[in-house]
Amino acid sequence: MNISLNWLKDFVTWDCSVEELAEQLTLVGLNVEEISDFVREYPGVVVGYVETCQQHPDADKLSLCTVNNGESVSQVICGAANVKAGMNIVFAQTGALLPGGFKIKKAKIRGVESFGMICSESELGLAVKSDGIMELAPDLKPGTSIDELFGYKDTVLDVEVTPNRPDLLSHLGVAREVAAITGSLLNTPEVWSPPKAGKEAVDFTVEIEEFADCSRYTAHLARDLKVKQSPQEMINRLTAVGLRPINNVVDITNYVMFELGQPLHAFDLNKISGNRLFTRKSKGGEKFVTLDGVERELTDQDLVIADSIGSVAVAGVMGGQRSEVDEDTSDLLLESAYFNPSLIRKTSRRLQLQSDSSYRFERTVDWENVDFAAKRALYLLQKNADAHVVSNFVDRQDPDRAELNTVPLRVEQVNRLLGAEITTIEVVDILASIGLKSKLLGQASDRKSVTGQLMVTIPSFRRDIFIEVDLIEEVARIYGFNNLKIESNFRSGTGVKRRECDQVLDKAADYLTGSGFSEIITSSFVSLENVHNLGIVEGDYRFEMMRIHNPHHGGETLLRTTMIPSMLDTVRRNINADAEIPVKLYQVNSVFLPSLKLEHELRHEDEKLLPLERKVLQFAIAGKEEQAHHSLPMVLMELKGIVEQLSIDMGEQLVIMPGGDEPYYQKGLQFILSNSAGDNIGSMGLVSRSVLSKYNIDFPVSIVELDLGKFGLNVPTVKFVNYSRYQASTRDLSLIAPETVSYKSIIEAVEYSAGKLLVDVEMFDIYKGKNIPSGSVSLGIRLKFQSTKSSLKSKAVDVAINKVTERLSGTLGVTIRD
Amino acid sequence: MEWLTEMRENGLALIAEIDSIDSLEQVRVELLGRKGKLTTQLRGLKDLPDDERPKAGAALNKLRQEYEVLIEERKTSFAAQKEATLADGCDLTLPSVAPVTPGNRHPLTSVINEICDIFYGMGFSREDGPDVELDYYNFTALNFPDDHPARDIQDTFYINDKVLLRTQTSPAQVRIMEQQTPPLAVIVPGRVYRNEALDASHVAEFFQIEGLYVGKDVSLADLKTTVLQFVTQFYGDDVITRFRPHFFPFTEPSVEVDMQCMACHGDGCNVCGKTGWLEIMGAGMVHPNVFKAAGYDSDKYTGFAFGLGIDRIAMLKHAIKDIRYLYENDLRFLSQFRSVR
Repeated sequence: MNISLNWLKDFVTWDCSVEELAEQLTLVGLNVEEISDFVREYPGVVVGYVETCQQHPDADKLSLCTVNNGESVSQVICGAANVKAGMNIVFAQTGALLPGGFKIKKAKIRGVESFGMICSESELGLAVKSDGIMELAPDLKPGTSIDELFGYKDTVLDVEVTPNRPDLLSHLGVAREVAAITGSLLNTPEVWSPPKAGKEAVDFTVEIEEFADCSRYTAHLARDLKVKQSPQEMINRLTAVGLRPINNVVDITNYVMFELGQPLHAFDLNKISGNRLFTRKSKGGEKFVTLDGVERELTDQDLVIADSIGSVAVAGVMGGQRSEVDEDTSDLLLESAYFNPSLIRKTSRRLQLQSDSSYRFERTVDWENVDFAAKRALYLLQKNADAHVVSNFVDRQDPDRAELNTVPLRVEQVNRLLGAEITTIEVVDILASIGLKSKLLGQASDRKSVTGQLMVTIPSFRRDIFIEVDLIEEVARIYGFNNLKIESNFRSGTGVKRRECDQVLDKAADYLTGSGFSEIITSSFVSLENVHNLGIVEGDYRFEMMRIHNPHHGGETLLRTTMIPSMLDTVRRNINADAEIPVKLYQVNSVFLPSLKLEHELRHEDEKLLPLERKVLQFAIAGKEEQAHHSLPMVLMELKGIVEQLSIDMGEQLVIMPGGDEPYYQKGLQFILSNSAGDNIGSMGLVSRSVLSKYNIDFPVSIVELDLGKFGLNVPTVKFVNYSRYQASTRDLSLIAPETVSYKSIIEAVEYSAGKLLVDVEMFDIYKGKNIPSGSVSLGIRLKFQSTKSSLKSKAVDVAINKVTERLSGTLGVTIRD
Repeated sequence: MEWLTEMRENGLALIAEIDSIDSLEQVRVELLGRKGKLTTQLRGLKDLPDDERPKAGAALNKLRQEYEVLIEERKTSFAAQKEATLADGCDLTLPSVAPVTPGNRHPLTSVINEICDIFYGMGFSREDGPDVELDYYNFTALNFPDDHPARDIQDTFYINDKVLLRTQTSPAQVRIMEQQTPPLAVIVPGRVYRNEALDASHVAEFFQIEGLYVGKDVSLADLKTTVLQFVTQFYGDDVITRFRPHFFPFTEPSVEVDMQCMACHGDGCNVCGKTGWLEIMGAGMVHPNVFKAAGYDSDKYTGFAFGLGIDRIAMLKHAIKDIRYLYENDLRFLSQFRSVR
């Protein structure tokens, strides 16, 4: 809301600086977001007298004039039809600066030199459009600065008005707050008052269909008026607060709305059919052209003002073109009303039409102000449009309207909630400063106590105050939040330990970042195309995605059930940005899966409408096309290593089982990850080439996903196991194994047969090819033996090795290479 | 003998600029060489008047000694450096061999962790709330009337009439109150969603932290104490704050907390939009209607709640001018935060 300080001064005075005023307003809750100077100046523009005016020798539509600026005479070319000798005009001399930064220079037009410009109103920024140049009063002295006529200086405060304070959407409302701060008196504006005697009859009626939709409607008639331009001061103020001046009638309705907060509407009386207006719901399906020239379809939920033919206004939102005030209007009907806020809001939203009027109605207007604002407008219509105001008028009110206008307040509760010690009399004074009168219940001696009881009368412009705490807030903001003491002995509690799930995540993040992974944060939204690209199709539970009803323009429309697309997208973008290979990334984000909640788990009956939100830890490597152990993709085996180490870090034996059938992983190159309890908690795999090609990624990518809800929790406390202090003995075995035998089964066979002296076994070589029979692979494994009781004798190790070789050849067909 | 003083100073400046063994040799020749400045001057002594000659000669010789000592000192230090790096032919200035270049957390995660750590110390525990939320928890239970303009403050993504993407972390307040009994002190970090036009300071998904404290006789002064403790620990002792009345449907009284702009110290600059203040959080006393929705007796309990925008804090802290950098996940951005905890 823009507040003009010149305008504000009509109602209230202050003797501090603008900055101090803004600061004080901010501290009582009217956040001043910007202080700006509104300056309209016309450097170099003066009153000019046209001495001669002839046709340009070389152009039919141009005139060649001589203009006297009081000191000298200049030759000026003018394109307006209405220029003639002997008139006073607005003369922008060479070097003058017009609004919009337009600088006047000497020019040559069709071979003739021109030293300046004769201006129209629109060129001065005083009108949106104008026909021809502006003619000034003949008694003005040439050379007079135009600033004296049309210059304007003001300071405008941009005040943030919160939705609970519609009373502040007006200059008078803001003036009330200023008065509360400065203690100055509040002036009220001049209004029209009906003559005491000789009342004219008014031959007009208003029917209200439902008082619930419209609890008050006043209609005044103003006749024989002249539509013209508003006085300069009104134009200046409207322009300063960002409104566009149109004509005196429209300007008055806008002016009063910004002055008093009540939206008004002026109908051209002669365009209204019959002498009755109806406030009713639209008949539905009705086509209606609003003032902005747009045809809109109304529903039977929209409140309209109608005459005997049909609608003339969408109530509280915008008037109709049919009854619009124009230059020929002589009689008008002025509407001032109170419409149901939620009704106006619904219509305004449905029509996507928010006006200054609907903005105020949906925040509720001041019921008592309806009549006052109308009378203010009538006063201005008399003054600015020479209107004759018909002395009788229509004022329809809901006879059953009940309004709460007193609220009890316990001063004890004020102090309890604020942590303060404010006395009853201080509370009374604070409330009085903002127009809230209170009555002390109980004894007069309570005035000095901090526990008095009050009954507070709420004025009609503060119907946002319903309950005690609303009053406490008023006391607090005027008392000043910054004046409340800080209780240094307040302790909110004792220290708290982080949740187990946060600790797990933190540790995983420590390990991943230490291993070169960087964290990314990606969008919860996904497109259907993205999911299709992964090969996820109907039937897969991840295909059932929640759809955003009102998506962002051009944005994605679904809530993701998988984070794979976001990871691939990020990988691609980084590779395209020349990131160093390998790219290692991780993320901890949520996916939104079809709900599996059981009835008895629901805390709220609609809870079953919510998805199952699963927090997933995902990490990925995009690396070079390299192979581990001669044939396996390096990126996959590296990631396997990360998972194994992470598993140890979490104290959880993650089981990594080859298997799984994710459509986006390459067949045979994927794993299922399960925890020690046997729950399937994640997957790992090499992204298939077909998926990568859809993302234009030329490097192999492997990805791990772990369900954080099931990962790393309930880690058993570590129990120390004593280690052997005796010398260990190692033996290397060179094996020839059929390709069909897995490394895992060989290790299991070794561990099974070697006896308890075996403490470790690891692979140190793998080879396939020359000198190795086809269909076989050569493996070098190192076995480490150790006893906890004594140094090992070579013989004991030999025995173990024999058992191992027997087992390997007997059950697996694995032989020892000579 | 002004010329002598000037000459000495020029010479000393040249010596100070020496940064390698090569430049040392150049300077030595320039100052002390056969065609050097000093030698030339010494040769010119014979042209001086008799009474000046001995004095000038002594001064020039003294200067020569001074130059020689200084240059020798520099030479020794270079030699020592060379020895240290190339001892036994080893050049230890060659690049190190790092097995892995570590990655790092996202700066938003780091800010969340840092804030949570501060509140852990004050006795707050961490909780979560769902991203996809019921209209009931996001609005109705938080005292947003149906069809009220207060709902316009936040442009909401709807799934259907009853389900939406939370526009704030505040719905967690009622969820937590339904499950716990006072006294309670919780913080809830999380992602929130708003259907807003994207620009340098707006994205559709961003992060907040909610705080809630409920007990007996909890006051606005207690809220101030908590907020100031947090601000001091997060931003430092010398930060100036102010509390300004505001409106949130779910708190009353409601405040916004401003911090004096650290870039301009309150004078007004581009960082603070010329106001001298930066809004750092919204807060207030829990509204009785919210207690009612949670099944609490508002005559028995009072409490406060607050909310912080994480993105803005991270942007201010790390001088990030455009919020979209936070969500582009470009390693050229992310890798700059290695030193952040």
